[in-house]
Amino acid sequence: MDIEIKNLKKYFGTKMILDIEELKFKKNIITGIIGPNGAGKSTLINILAGLDKEYQGSITYNKEKFNDSMYLDITLVFQKPYLLNRKVYEDVAYPLKIRKLKKSVVKEKTNEILKELGIYHLRDQKSTQLSGGEAQKVSLARAVIIEPELILLDEPTSSIDEDSISTLERVLKEYNKEYNTTIIIITHDIEQAYRLCDEIIFLKNGRVEDKDGLF
Amino acid sequence: MKKNLLIVALLIISLITGCSSVQNAQDTSVGDNGSIILATTTSTRDSGLLDYILPDFEEKTGIEVKVVAVGTGAALQKGRDGDADVLLVHAKPSEEQFVEEGHGLKRYDVMYNDFVIVGPKEDSANIHAEAANDVVKGFQTIAESESTFVSRGDDSGTHKKEKSIWENAGIQPEGSWYLSSGSGMGDTLKIADEKQAYTMTDRATYLNLKDKLNLDILVEKDEMLFNQYGVIPVNPDKNENINNGGAQEFIDWLLSEDIQKMIGEYGKDKFGMPLFTPNYNK
Amino acid sequence: MDYILQGLKEGILLLFKLDKELYRIIFLSVAVSSTATALSSFLAIPIGVYLGIKRFRLKGLFSRILYTFMSIPSVVVGLLVAISLSRRGPLGSLQLLYTPTAMIIAQTILVFPLALGLVYNLSKNRGKEIEKIGLTLGARRFDVIILIVRELKIYLFINVITVFSRAISEVGAVMIVGGNIKGHTRVITTSIAMFNSMGSYSRAIALGLVLLLISFLINSIIYSYNKED
Repeated sequence: MDIEIKNLKKYFGTKMILDIEELKFKKNIITGIIGPNGAGKSTLINILAGLDKEYQGSITYNKEKFNDSMYLDITLVFQKPYLLNRKVYEDVAYPLKIRKLKKSVVKEKTNEILKELGIYHLRDQKSTQLSGGEAQKVSLARAVIIEPELILLDEPTSSIDEDSISTLERVLKEYNKEYNTTIIIITHDIEQAYRLCDEIIFLKNGRVEDKDGLF
Repeated sequence: MKKNLLIVALLIISLITGCSSVQNAQDTSVGDNGSIILATTTSTRDSGLLDYILPDFEEKTGIEVKVVAVGTGAALQKGRDGDADVLLVHAKPSEEQFVEEGHGLKRYDVMYNDFVIVGPKEDSANIHAEAANDVVKGFQTIAESESTFVSRGDDSGTHKKEKSIWENAGIQPEGSWYLSSGSGMGDTLKIADEKQAYTMTDRATYLNLKDKLNLDILVEKDEMLFNQYGVIPVNPDKNENINNGGAQEFIDWLLSEDIQKMIGEYGKDKFGMPLFTPNYNK
Repeated sequence: MDYILQGLKEGILLLFKLDKELYRIIFLSVAVSSTATALSSFLAIPIGVYLGIKRFRLKGLFSRILYTFMSIPSVVVGLLVAISLSRRGPLGSLQLLYTPTAMIIAQTILVFPLALGLVYNLSKNRGKEIEKIGLTLGARRFDVIILIVRELKIYLFINVITVFSRAISEVGAVMIVGGNIKGHTRVITTSIAMFNSMGSYSRAIALGLVLLLISFLINSIIYSYNKED
C-alpha cells in the first residue's frame, strides 16, 4: 500500500505536533520511524490508522483518501497490548468473526496463526493470565490474521522479552515477504530498525529530519 | 386595603410568636399553648372544611393547629401512642371504646355528614333504579353483578362504615371486582373514576371533587349512611408533651355557637347545600 | 418504645410465616421494577454506548442536562404519566391508569435517564479506547458498540443493578400511577407508607426489612464485582 502525505499539520490546541511537507511510504517494504520522545511518532501512526482524523493536509492510500472500508485492510499494534476480555483463541479469532467468515475457516486460520506465533498452548487462557511478551504476541496474531495490506506498529517490543521480540520480528518479515504486506514500525531500538527495516525515517519536533534509503 | 394588610400582619406575627413559643416550650416548660396536633380524618381535610374554619381559631387564640389527616383507625392509633393532642374522627363505637380505655378524656358530638354511593353515569348494575335509598340492597346488587367496587381499605372511619354495611348485607366482599385502595377518600374517588367503578364516599369530599369526576350519586339518604363526627382530647397522662390546655381550648372553640354556625354554612355557596350539619348538644 | 420492638418482632414473624399478602406485595415490587429496569437498560445501553463514543456539538451541554435528569424526582414522573394515562388524558383510551403496566411505564421513564447517564458516562470514559482497538481490527460501527458492551459487561451489569435499586426503592411514581390497590398495584414502598398511616407498624417494618435486605443484596453484588476488578 503506497502512502503519500502532503502538507500534514496537526495541533493540540496551539501546540504544533506534526508539520510534514511531503512524505511517502513505499508499498511492500518495512519502514521504521525513529526519533526522540515527543517527536510526534505515535500521533502520526494514529493518523495513518484512521483513528485520528483531526488534522490539516492530505494523506492518500494507493492514491485514495481514507474511507471507512480501509479499516478492514489497515491494522495497528499498540505499544501496550489491549487484549479483549475473553480467551486467547476467541480474541485472535475476533477479526475473522466480524468479517463473517465460515466457522471452519475461522478455526483453521486461528489455530494456524496461534501455532506460528508459538502461543497455541495459551489458546484457552484468559488475557489477564498472560505475560507481557505473550500478550503482545496475541495482539500481533490478531492483527496479522486478516492478512492486512498495511500493518502499523507503535513500539511493539519496548517492554517485552528477547524471545518474544525475535518471534515478532520473524513473523513481520514473513508477512512482508509472503503477502507483500506494507509495514510501518515505530521503534526506540536502532538495532531493531537496522535488523528489520528497508527504510528508516527520523522524526524530530514533528518534522522529518532525515530520510535514508538503504543503510 | 390597609386594614386587610394589618390583619394579615397581625396574623403572621401571632403565628410567628406562636411558633417560637413552641420551641421555647420544648426547652423549658410543658403546657404552653403554642401549637396543638390535630389527628383527623382525610375527609375533613379533603372537603376543605378545616381550611375554612381553622384560620379563625388561630387568629383568636394564637395557637397553631398542625393537622395530621389520616384514616380514623390511624388517628385513634396516634391518640393511643400519644402522638396527637386532640382527635376529630368519625367512628362512634371505636371512639367510645377509646375513651373507655382511658386514652381520651371525653367524647363530644360535633357534627354529622352523610355517605353516598357513587358510580359511573351508566350505572351498569342499575342500583339507582333498584335501591336509591337502600344501601344494603345497593351493595347486594353490586356484589351480585360483580361490578367493580373500590374500597378505602385503610381502616378509616369510612372503611369501617362500609364494612358494617357489607356485614348487614350478609356479604363477604372479595374477588377481582372488589378493589382495596389503601388510600384517602380523594385518591379512592379518582381510582373509582378511572376504573368507572362504584365506591362509598362522604358527601363533602365527593361534592368538592365532583367537577373533576365522572361519577354520580346513586344511593343516598339511607339512615345507615349518616356519619357522626366526634372530638376527643387525648389523655395528657400519656406523656408530658401532650398539650391538653390547647386541646381543650380547641374543643371549646369548635363547640362554640359561632363555629357551629360556621360549620353549618360551609359549602352552601359553592354546592348549594351544607356539607356538614353541626349537632353539638349542650 | 415498646411498639417499635413489638413491631419488629411481629414483622419478622410475618416474614417467616410466609404471609401471603406480604409476599404478593414483594413479588409485584420485584416484577415491576425488574421489568422497568430491563426495558430502560435495553434502550439505554446501545444509545448510551453510542453517544459516549460519538463526538458531537454541545456534548458538554448534553452531558449536564442528562446528569440533571438522572435525579428527576419520582413524583414529577408519576404526575406526568398519570396525567397522560388518565381517562381525560391523551392516552386515556388505553385505560392503563392504576394498573401494573402504568407502574412499569412510569418507572421505566423514571430510571431511563439514570440508566442512560450511567452507561453514557462509562462509555465516554472507557469506550474510546475499545473503539480504537475495534477499528484497528476492522470492526464496523455496530460491531464497535457490541464490542464495547461485551468488554464493559461487568460495569454495565453494575449499572443495571444500580438502576434496579433506584426503581424498587422509589415511592412517588408508583403511588401516583398505581394507586396502591390491594392485590393489584400494591408494592413494598407504597405499602410501607400506607401501613404506617394505618398504624399497622409490624407490616410496615416487615416490608422495610425486605427492602433493606434487597438493598443489601444489591450492594453485595456490586461490592464483589468491584473487588474482583
